[in-house]
Amino acid sequence: MAEKRTILEIKHLYKIFGDDPRAALERVRDEGLGRAELMEQTNHVLALSDITTDVREGDITVMMGLSGSGKSTLIRHLNRLIEPTAGEILLDGEDVLSLSHEQTRRMRRERMSMVFQNFALLPHRTVLDNAGMAAATRGDKRADYEKDSREWLDRVGLGGNADQYPHELSGGMQQRVGLARALASDAPIMLMDEAFSALDPLIRTDMQDLLLELQEELKKTVVFISHDLDEALKLADHLVILKDGYVVQQGEPQKILLEPEDDYIVDFISDINRARVLRVRSVMNESGDPATANAVEVDHDDTLESVLAKSEGAMEARFVVIRDGAAVGTLDMPEVVKALVPAEASESGMRTHAT
Amino acid sequence: MATYDYLFSALGLQEWCESSGGSGPVSLSALRDSARGQDAAEISIWELPFPSMDALNEACQSFPRSRELTIGLERGFLSIKDSLSFVLDPLTQPLSWALEGSLYGVLNTPWWIIIPLLMLITWLVSRSVALLSFVTLGFVGLAFIDHYDYAMQTLAIILVCAFICVLFGVPIGIAMSRSDTMRRMTIPVLDMLQTLPPFVYLIPLIFLFSVTEPKLYGIAIILYAIVPVIRLTDLGIRMVDQSVIEAADAFGMTDRQKLFGVQVPLALPNIMAGVNQTIMMSLAMVVIASLVSAPGLGVLVLRGIRNLELGVGLVAGLGIVLLAVILDRVTKASLARINSTYKS
Repeated sequence: MAEKRTILEIKHLYKIFGDDPRAALERVRDEGLGRAELMEQTNHVLALSDITTDVREGDITVMMGLSGSGKSTLIRHLNRLIEPTAGEILLDGEDVLSLSHEQTRRMRRERMSMVFQNFALLPHRTVLDNAGMAAATRGDKRADYEKDSREWLDRVGLGGNADQYPHELSGGMQQRVGLARALASDAPIMLMDEAFSALDPLIRTDMQDLLLELQEELKKTVVFISHDLDEALKLADHLVILKDGYVVQQGEPQKILLEPEDDYIVDFISDINRARVLRVRSVMNESGDPATANAVEVDHDDTLESVLAKSEGAMEARFVVIRDGAAVGTLDMPEVVKALVPAEASESGMRTHAT
Repeated sequence: MATYDYLFSALGLQEWCESSGGSGPVSLSALRDSARGQDAAEISIWELPFPSMDALNEACQSFPRSRELTIGLERGFLSIKDSLSFVLDPLTQPLSWALEGSLYGVLNTPWWIIIPLLMLITWLVSRSVALLSFVTLGFVGLAFIDHYDYAMQTLAIILVCAFICVLFGVPIGIAMSRSDTMRRMTIPVLDMLQTLPPFVYLIPLIFLFSVTEPKLYGIAIILYAIVPVIRLTDLGIRMVDQSVIEAADAFGMTDRQKLFGVQVPLALPNIMAGVNQTIMMSLAMVVIASLVSAPGLGVLVLRGIRNLELGVGLVAGLGIVLLAVILDRVTKASLARINSTYKS
């Protein structure tokens, strides 16, 4: 697979809320104050601290953290709903922060769309008009975008609701409108701020599947904010874990799961269902000789759960790993079991403090 | 000798006091004192007068009396009056024309056009059979007891004034919602307009415009009734859900698109509530305005009071109540219809 192009670069981004963020920033940089010390000494809130990360084109980049970790603040920097205190944001190599008002508006209209946690639909417009909001904002004629909007509503499963008002729809359906609105804007980048967090678990799963299905075809660049690790692991091509405004660890989700670098992350991952999240490709033996395995084949992107099902409990089972029709490695059951050993909640982690 | 003589002698101002001695008119209490032969000799501490302007004037003739304050105010107002009405007269002339025109209109259009027209408007904004029959009964009843002309005059005045209130009030409210400075400056004015007794702003208006001109009562009604529509427009726009505003920003709306596409439509229920209040307040003012020649039911109420014609006053008063209920119900019904399409 060819390396994907980096479309958005965030470099050393700081955001401090308070009366004199510049002075507070000096102290954070020079004295290395943390969030708690800064609050105590200067009454400023350190929302984001030295965030550096890349977003690659066509990826779903998930930024995950608990509430207060700065993730919603971070995503609002990408389309400049919030101005940073210091740092750089490059979109296709161009500094977003140097754009004029007019250019910023054009960027928001043409290059980035957004989906919100609380839907934020226009309550006085029909579902169809909401879906066409981006086009209408750009000044297109209704006749020109109506067909397009209807198509997008069909895609998200709301073909029959075009003439209803948002308040006549359920939460899940409203968020489908939100998704259709973002997709209909045709922007290559889609920002999703806890887009599914307000939904019931079942509907949330539906929406995640819908997003993945659409993504398969559209290859948008998605920046997704979530506080839910299961959701993050399901969606993410690249996972950024935030805590108290700084990046704790980032990388491929499978890698984070297998090699957590921080107690905080160990705590996080200690009670997820590893079998459902870990994939064959992350634990397979690439140098293994396919000829020595018996005939049972597994796809490189299968979850370990499905491998367990195929093994029917036999510990000596050995599988051939297939990618695009070719054998690329082997997988032994002991490796599967080893990968499934849960990471213990750390001694110093928040679990033990919480009790 | 007066109580505060020592004050002026201590300040060495005796000469200044005597320089214009006795020039001012003699006050009543001074006359009374001199008649009694008391020259304000020993005043006990219990009767010590407050060092007011009048008391100080007793001690020092050059010190102004309080009535010079009111006279000064009056002279000041009269001296700018001409230039003020030179500016305000043409500016407010359209209001006179609008009022005259609408009064002429309602009185010269036959009742069999006006009443069905009002019924049609009621039906269009409310779509309610119950309300329509109530409104019809109301107007037919007023016409039956020969109050049709008076009621129509009152209605015409209210509608013109309420329309002008909306015309100016909504933009002012929008400006207030967009600028905190504007809001800080406007709120004291609104507070003043709301608390000033309605009679009080008739006083300068009577001096500025001639009493026969409709704009005199028009301005009084508008000043009194414009406050709620301004306040509720401001409030309505400020209360628009911030997340919807954020979404509008995130999709790159200009300020203008945001204002007319999101903020004003979402504030509309509040603005309509303000319009309802404005209409109710114009109705309250239209009775007081009959003191300055506003025609309509208020004239009958005034006649009832002046001539002690109990029946005339009561019937006209009840007519005003009926008009108020009709206007209130019709505006509320349209408000409810807006709400049902809008709110989640």
